[in-house]
Amino acid sequence: MKRALRLLSCAALVFVLVLSAFAQGGELRFCIKSDPKTFNPVAVADDASETVRYLTGGVLVRVNRQTQQLEPELATSWKITNAGKTITFTLRPNQYFSDGTPFTAEDVAFTVKQLTNPNLHSPTGDAFRSGTGDVTSKILSGNKISITFPGAIAGLDRLFDQVAIMSARSPKKERAVLGPFFLADHKPGSYLYFRKNNNYWKKDAQGRKLPLLDAVRLDIQPNREIEVMRFRRGEIDLINSLDSDFYAKLQQGSEAQVRDAGASLDSEQLWFNQVPGAPIADYKKAWFKSQNFRRAVALSINRADLVRIVFGGHAQAAIGPTSPANKFWFNTKLKALPYDTQLALNLLKQDGFQLQGGTLKDAQGRTVEFSIVTNSSSKPRERMATMIQQDLSRIGIKVNVVTLDFPSMIERITAKFNYEAAILGFINTEMDPNSQMTVWLSSGENHAWNPNQKSPATAWEAEMDKLMQAQTQSPDPKKRKAAWDRVQEIVYEQQPMIYLVNKNALSAVSSNLVNAAPVVLRPQTYWNIDRLYLKSDADRSGK
Amino acid sequence: MARIALRHFVRILVTVVIGGIFAATLVRYAPGFESDEQALDSRLSNESVQALRNARAGERDVFAFYKSFLVSAAHGDFGTSRTLNRPVRELVSERLPVTMRLIGTGLLLGWALALLFAVSAVMVRFAPYDVLTTAVSGLILCVPSAVLGLIFVFANAPASLAIGLIVFSHVFRYWRNLLDKSYMMPHIVMARAKGLSPARILVFHVLPVSAGQLLAVCGISVSIALGAAIPVEALCGVPGIGQLAWQAALGRDLSLLVTLTFIVTIVTLLANTASEIFGQAFRVQEA
Repeated sequence: MKRALRLLSCAALVFVLVLSAFAQGGELRFCIKSDPKTFNPVAVADDASETVRYLTGGVLVRVNRQTQQLEPELATSWKITNAGKTITFTLRPNQYFSDGTPFTAEDVAFTVKQLTNPNLHSPTGDAFRSGTGDVTSKILSGNKISITFPGAIAGLDRLFDQVAIMSARSPKKERAVLGPFFLADHKPGSYLYFRKNNNYWKKDAQGRKLPLLDAVRLDIQPNREIEVMRFRRGEIDLINSLDSDFYAKLQQGSEAQVRDAGASLDSEQLWFNQVPGAPIADYKKAWFKSQNFRRAVALSINRADLVRIVFGGHAQAAIGPTSPANKFWFNTKLKALPYDTQLALNLLKQDGFQLQGGTLKDAQGRTVEFSIVTNSSSKPRERMATMIQQDLSRIGIKVNVVTLDFPSMIERITAKFNYEAAILGFINTEMDPNSQMTVWLSSGENHAWNPNQKSPATAWEAEMDKLMQAQTQSPDPKKRKAAWDRVQEIVYEQQPMIYLVNKNALSAVSSNLVNAAPVVLRPQTYWNIDRLYLKSDADRSGK
Repeated sequence: MARIALRHFVRILVTVVIGGIFAATLVRYAPGFESDEQALDSRLSNESVQALRNARAGERDVFAFYKSFLVSAAHGDFGTSRTLNRPVRELVSERLPVTMRLIGTGLLLGWALALLFAVSAVMVRFAPYDVLTTAVSGLILCVPSAVLGLIFVFANAPASLAIGLIVFSHVFRYWRNLLDKSYMMPHIVMARAKGLSPARILVFHVLPVSAGQLLAVCGISVSIALGAAIPVEALCGVPGIGQLAWQAALGRDLSLLVTLTFIVTIVTLLANTASEIFGQAFRVQEA
């Protein structure tokens, strides 16, 4: 009898294990805003293509989105030498692309060659530009390769997180992949369908072959309202980068399905136009060039209210160019600017501004008034502009809010410079400050307040140039951190960009999705796509 | 007959060319034409941002662009879409059948509904029923296409039904008045007085008299359906040329917008020409 019971319990255990093995899988569904512009992983420049690359691309190293640490993937080890110019990878042996083509060092060399093509003009490729001269790849053995760049590249190894290895020999070209999924079907404008890559190398801690999902379907849906509705109906399983309004709506329906991972790397900021040739009045240019004026405006903005009212508490008051979520690069010495209108008025007084009958006048008696442009497609930015208008009225400044469609706004702030102040957000996909070179160098195209300077217009911009150049050429992370800390301090002192908030990373995840652990780094909800799976119908019904 | 066909062909060709230059000029001088959202990517080097800007250089002179566009179009090359990074010809050939199916189904549905209600209204001659059908069509007419599309999204109903209702609302009243007028013609009043069956009166006396004008309305409703397809496709996520036009407009996609203008103009003019020719044929028969 005992023996029979033992046998029965063993059989039951085996049955449960088998059942749990079969319980994984399923087809994950979520939405992307538009068709991918490219399937070429080195040419990726838009969000949709980035998503495809993340699902299909096999990389040598991966930044773990949860720990923010670099981890080996297709490379088992790597070494940076030659003062940051050379990186040598040891590759994982016996790996195959989705179509069965073997993965070798030749593929890495081929990918690097594609990546460093000077005519590519992609964000991924540009990150590897350093000095003049060719990039050379040297295959040391079947699974060892060293790549030498003409100049030192700071944080070189982390950049390979974005480099999906392409096959040099597969007839399928970029459709042959090393990532967890491969593109099986694409109906332009409608959906993309990915199947599990059976040649994917990874296994989980229990020794199960990854990915656990059988398929992923991406529906193309530009309208967030409809996306939320489909999530509610259970037609899709997750939503990435929710804004606070939709988060609140979904929270009312099901508290368990919304996730707030905390402050993200993204920031929202206000800046004044300091372009010398801009078609705005000279006296206004003088205000905007004044450090005291900018600091006074920064001190007069009640960030706590912005967080509370505009973002429903799902944001943090921003401090500077680096979000506190960026654990390594954030300068911990800096604290959020206080909301202090009295201090702001004292600073304005130093520049000859006077408060007369509730209106601020400059030294020549002109009323202080300016307009803020922002894009009409962003409700939070419109609301922030309105609240800033209210805040600045307390120190006598009159603000006019102008909303424009996005292309018109970009044209104004990057080509025509026909604006006085602007509110816009920065999406930071990378943690390394190197990805912001064109923002902080005075000669940069994205040096928003005064781009493309022939020589630095101010002493502090000259100092920032030196610091940025120093940090990009140093292989020593500590020296780089010290340089970047100082840049953050200069921005804090000078306020060329008045940082407002760091939005929280909000997402919605179906309760049927197992192993989902949204984080602040992109892609927040499916960073561990190979470990996600959907509960089987039996699990859902609680059997 | 050949001369009439040639005249129509020349008219369509001239209208398409003028429509194209008009569309190109509007897009070229629209605010934001010079911008590229990608240029804001801080990871891009200055050289790459410049390269992005230079990519538009060929489109700055609208007349030079249009001339080269027409030359390439004559060889079947309609350029490359900026927003989707694919040849325009490919995009259109993928999506045109989707739109044609959508508006085809919508038109058939709209016409069938309009004819059904128009005929029943004039045959039943029951005031409350007449008021009800008129009110319903008027109500649908007042609702913008985009809102109707959104309602259908939330109701999880097919987009072709939204197009059908839009067509119905535009056609119904006109057809009802037309049939009503035909029923009042002396020879039909006489036929009714003599006790001919309503069906016989409708099929053999009313419809042949009204057919020309009914067809003319059909031609107009094609352009109504095509116009409605843009917001409906964009909202309902139907991957047709309506959705494409929406994306192209937002992205100031010159080559794509000019090509779509060509298509919309050609379809509209062909539909109008066809209804005109049929109408003339019916008038000749009547005479």
